[in-house]
Amino acid sequence: MHHNAISIQHLSYHYPDKTQALDNISLNIHAGDRVALIGANGSGKSTFLQHLNGILLPQIGEITIGEYPMEPKFLKQIRDFVGLVFQNPDDQLFMSTVWEDISFGPLNQGIQPQELQVRCQQAMNAMGLDPGYADRNPGHLSGGEKKRVAIAGVLAMQPQVITLDEPSAQLDPRSRRQLIDLLKTLPITQLIATHDLDLALELCHRTIVLSRGQIVYDGRTEEVLYNTAFLHEHALEPPLSYSRPYCDRS
Amino acid sequence: MLHSHDHHSHHYAHSPIQQAASTPLSLNVAPAIQVLCALIMVLAIGVTPNGHWITGLIYGMGIAIVLFIRPVNLTKLAQRLAVESVFVIVAVIGLLFRDGEGVLWQWGGLKITVTGLVVLGSVMGKLWLSLLVMNLLTMTMPIPVLLQSLSILKIPPLLIAILASMHRYLELLIDEFMTMRRAAIARNLVAGKRWQRLVVGNMIGSLFIRTYDRGDRIHQAMLSRGYQGVIVNQTSVRLRRRDRLALLITILFVIFGQLAFYLV
Repeated sequence: MHHNAISIQHLSYHYPDKTQALDNISLNIHAGDRVALIGANGSGKSTFLQHLNGILLPQIGEITIGEYPMEPKFLKQIRDFVGLVFQNPDDQLFMSTVWEDISFGPLNQGIQPQELQVRCQQAMNAMGLDPGYADRNPGHLSGGEKKRVAIAGVLAMQPQVITLDEPSAQLDPRSRRQLIDLLKTLPITQLIATHDLDLALELCHRTIVLSRGQIVYDGRTEEVLYNTAFLHEHALEPPLSYSRPYCDRS
Repeated sequence: MLHSHDHHSHHYAHSPIQQAASTPLSLNVAPAIQVLCALIMVLAIGVTPNGHWITGLIYGMGIAIVLFIRPVNLTKLAQRLAVESVFVIVAVIGLLFRDGEGVLWQWGGLKITVTGLVVLGSVMGKLWLSLLVMNLLTMTMPIPVLLQSLSILKIPPLLIAILASMHRYLELLIDEFMTMRRAAIARNLVAGKRWQRLVVGNMIGSLFIRTYDRGDRIHQAMLSRGYQGVIVNQTSVRLRRRDRLALLITILFVIFGQLAFYLV
C-alpha cells in the first residue's frame, strides 16, 4: 500500500460556462485514512471526486495518485488505484446481472477467470451479498442492495483507495446502518463525500469542508461539527447527534 | 429467500449461459447454437425468392414444430406480433402499389397489380416468419444469456454493449416517465386532451435530456472501472455432439425448404 495515497497541489477547475467548481485545492491523504468530504450542494464535492479517478483531468494544479501523476498515460493505473462509487447506483450498474456487473472492473483489468471468481466472491461477501444475488438483474434490486452491488463492483478491482459519493443517500435506516458497519470494516483508504454528518462523525476522524470550490476546513471531525456558527456559514448544520442529543439514545 | 450456488465448482458457475444450457426446455442445446440456428433460419427466410409459397409453408411448419417442443405464452406472442406488425405494415405497404403485370385496380396513377400483391404477400410472409423466429428466441431465452451468446458468436462487442444497456435501462426510462406522469397527475393533470398532449410532449423531451445526462454518467462510471471502449468477455463454449446435430438439422432443413419449390 502506498504511504501517500493522494497528493493534490493547487488544483482548480471550472466548467465550460466558466463557473468555478474547484479553486486552489491542496491536500494529502495518507494510506489507511478515512476522510469525510462535506459541503453544501454545488460546493464541488462530486467534481473533486471525479478528479481523483481521472474522469476529469486537472486544468490547473497537480494530482499524484500513489506514484502516478494524473496524466492520460497513467489513467489505467490510476483507475486501478482509486475506485469511485457514484452517488446513484443506477448510473453505475449497467450489466444484465449482478455477477456480470461486479466482474466488469476486474475483466477490464485483465484478471483471469480463476482469480476473477475469487475476487468477485470476496467482494460480494464483503458487501454481505448472498451468492443468490449473482444472477439477479440489478434493476430489480432495492436501493440498498443496488448500493452494495455498486460498492462490490469497485471492491472487486481491489483498489488502494475507495471514494464514495453520497453513500448513504436514498438508503433506509437499516441499509444505512449496514453500510456504515461495512465501511468501518474495509481496510482501505476511504474518502467519503456526504451530507450525512452523523455518518461522517461516526466513520471519519478527519473532515474536509468544501465551500464554493474552496477548502475552508481540514482537520478533526469532532471539532468542526461542534462549530455550529461555522457550519451555518457554509450552508451546513450540526449532526443530529450533536444538535439534538436526545435523538442519540445509544 | 434467495437460492444459493456452489461457487467453487466452475469458473463460470454464475454464468447464466451454463444454467440455460441445462434447462429441460432448451433441449440441452448450447444457447449460442440456438441463437445461431435462429439466425440461419432468419437468413434463409430472408433470401427466399418472392412467390415461393411452398418454402414459406415448410418454414412455417418448422417454426410450428419448435413452438410445440418449446411452448410459449401464445397470447403474449400474439401481442408482440401485433405491435411489431404495425411497424411492418407501415414499412412495406408501398409495395402494394408497385408496377407490374395484371392490373386489378386503378385510380389515377395509383394501381394494384398481381405482381404487387405477390411481392407484398411474400415480403409480409417473410417478415412475419422472421419475427416469429426472433420472438420465440427472445421469449425462451433470458436476455443475459442471449447477450452472452451473441458475444460467443463474435457479434461486435460495441453492438452487444448497446443492446445490454438498452435492456438494462429501458425499464428505468419507463419508470422515469411514469414518475413524471404521476407527478403531473398529482398536480391535477385533468384538463383538455390538447393540454395533456402538450404535457406528454414536454415529458418526452425531458426524458430525452435525462437519457442524455444519464448516458453521460453511465459512461463516466464505466470509465472509472477501467473501461477502454470494449466490453471484455472471457466466456467461450465448446461444441458438443447435440449442438453439432442441432446445427446440422437446421442447415439441412433450410436447404430442404429452398429446394422444395423446385421439387414440387
